[in-house]
Amino acid sequence: MEQTEQYKAVMSEIIAKQSVILGPDMAIMRAKKVSGIDIGDNGEVTGIDGDSADALKRLIDTYVELSGQIVRNALGPIFTKYPDIKHSN
Amino acid sequence: MFQSGLLPVIAVLLTLYFAVVVFSYLGVRRIRRGALEKDREAKRRLYELAILKEVADRTGYSLNIQKVLDVIVGSLNQFLEYSAVSYMLLSPSKIVFKADLERSVSSQFIKDIRTRMLSALSALLGRDLAGIEVEETITGAITLEDIDEPVRSYFNIPLVIGAELVGVLTVSHTKEGLYKESEMEILYKVVNQASQAVTKLEEVVKTEQGKVAAMVESMIEGVVMTDIDYRIIATNPAAKEIIGKKEGAPTIFDFIDAFKGALDIRGKLEEAIKLDKVLTIDEIFFNNKYYKIVVSPVRSSVGLTRGQILGGVVIFHDITHEKEAEKMRSDFTSMMVHELRSPLGNIKKIGEMMRSSKILEDKQASSEYVSMLYESSSSMLNLVNDLLDVARLEAGKFDIDKQSMDIRTLLAEQVKFFEATAQGAGINLKLLVGEKMPNYVMADAKRITQVAGNLLSNALNYTPKGGAVTALCFVHKKGMILGDEAAAIGAPWVRDNMPSTAEIPDSIVVAVTDTGEGLAKEQIDKLFNKFTQFASSVRQSDHKGTGLGLVIVKGIVESHGGTVGVGSKAGTGSTFYFTLPL
Repeated sequence: MEQTEQYKAVMSEIIAKQSVILGPDMAIMRAKKVSGIDIGDNGEVTGIDGDSADALKRLIDTYVELSGQIVRNALGPIFTKYPDIKHSN
Repeated sequence: MFQSGLLPVIAVLLTLYFAVVVFSYLGVRRIRRGALEKDREAKRRLYELAILKEVADRTGYSLNIQKVLDVIVGSLNQFLEYSAVSYMLLSPSKIVFKADLERSVSSQFIKDIRTRMLSALSALLGRDLAGIEVEETITGAITLEDIDEPVRSYFNIPLVIGAELVGVLTVSHTKEGLYKESEMEILYKVVNQASQAVTKLEEVVKTEQGKVAAMVESMIEGVVMTDIDYRIIATNPAAKEIIGKKEGAPTIFDFIDAFKGALDIRGKLEEAIKLDKVLTIDEIFFNNKYYKIVVSPVRSSVGLTRGQILGGVVIFHDITHEKEAEKMRSDFTSMMVHELRSPLGNIKKIGEMMRSSKILEDKQASSEYVSMLYESSSSMLNLVNDLLDVARLEAGKFDIDKQSMDIRTLLAEQVKFFEATAQGAGINLKLLVGEKMPNYVMADAKRITQVAGNLLSNALNYTPKGGAVTALCFVHKKGMILGDEAAAIGAPWVRDNMPSTAEIPDSIVVAVTDTGEGLAKEQIDKLFNKFTQFASSVRQSDHKGTGLGLVIVKGIVESHGGTVGVGSKAGTGSTFYFTLPL
């Protein structure tokens, strides 16, 4: 899979997981506010503008800002599925 | 009719007029919208402040997160519209689920919320919670099965205390797309601030608990603290050692089993807590040790629980040494009385016999009886003098009269005094004096004579025929080893079991080395204890004396600022020394 596509898949999974944790309304609303990411109404990432790693960081930070480090911890299993993705989790 | 040239002007003016009207309308609308938004924001801020104040007032930011959540849940309807607000709290054995219904919903709605909350917790913890018991409480409106309205809007707020997930709070509604981000965020903010306050409070409590724990840990006494249900909440290493629990946290059953037959710990705790009374068990014998045990209820002295009994504490005080000392004192007294009684009995018997005129007429028999009287009364007097000296030393009333004296002459006289005894016992007695001895030292000549005489007498008593006793005297320099300094003047010195002597300040050293029985290490340790010395002296009836001599020697030397020491090896001999500081 192309790297941008991998980033899109990772970010989509993160939003899906946060939808379970925070509820879909909140998870998608927060994600839509992150600059450089295009998000569909179902929470799927449809496009990334600019640096993908930066966009991923901004997405994670927006959830951490809302409910703390505990949500970051829940993302571990997603990153193990994508070993090529750079992240600071 | 208007002139045709005026029409464009009128059209422009009308356009301008309409433009002004439209812009004014839009401007007013924008201003009104802004004012409304400001009003909403002010209301949100007000809610945030009000709810945080309420949490603080009603719980004092209790450590109990459930109480804090109940306050938030109870006042949420002032700010948000919802069908149900619910929370789940994690505990080791179960999950507490509480839902407060603002309006009636179906049981399926509640089941749905419960499933979503469990999924959120499961995602955060990274483990499946399907098998865990959920304790459910529903409050507020009743559930109605004919309401077929599913969950259409909801949001969860993870509850975190001190970086640990403790639960989740969920707001839900049957209407779709109900919650605005700003509203959700304000509740996040409120919950997070309350959680942070609880976290800070927990940290303070933990720090304080840490201080108490450190104090309890360092106590020599064994300490066991229990809650009201007799579950152990703290034990220190001393308590674990008492019951021989080397690893892991002990339970109350470990203590009950360990003290089985000796003490009913659980029963005593129950009694202390029920009667609200401190119980003292003066003495129990357990694992070859004596303990005094105090069992006390523990009362809260702060906060809402002030005055309430929180549990109990058991303190184990090891009194084995006190018991041993008590026994030694008691043995000492009875032995001393016995030792005084024997010569007194002899004196009485001799007195009775001498009342007979036949004995008085027999001059030889009379003379023998008078000698026996003298010996018995001397023995008693020696014992009484020794006891008086020890009593004076212990009371700090042992006066010494320091005068300028020649130690060499004093020692020579003492050796001469014991020469006859040594010859009679077939023991070689000699005196060795080191070089550069000062002509005079400041000391109480009478008392130093007593000390030297005691050491020589002991050495002769314990040295067999054919052995040797050497009195020696030399100048010691700090940093030097006494044994080396003695060797320099060719004097014998027993170094075995003798602690380091290098730290002794510049002094005159007087010592007596013998080739007698010698002493084992454990005997040396007891030499200067009046109780043990007297007892061993009484047991060794073949050696004369009260056994208190060395106790007195130590007292006299220390009164001069000097030290007393021993080096000895069983079967080889001993060196007893004392120092007089220069």
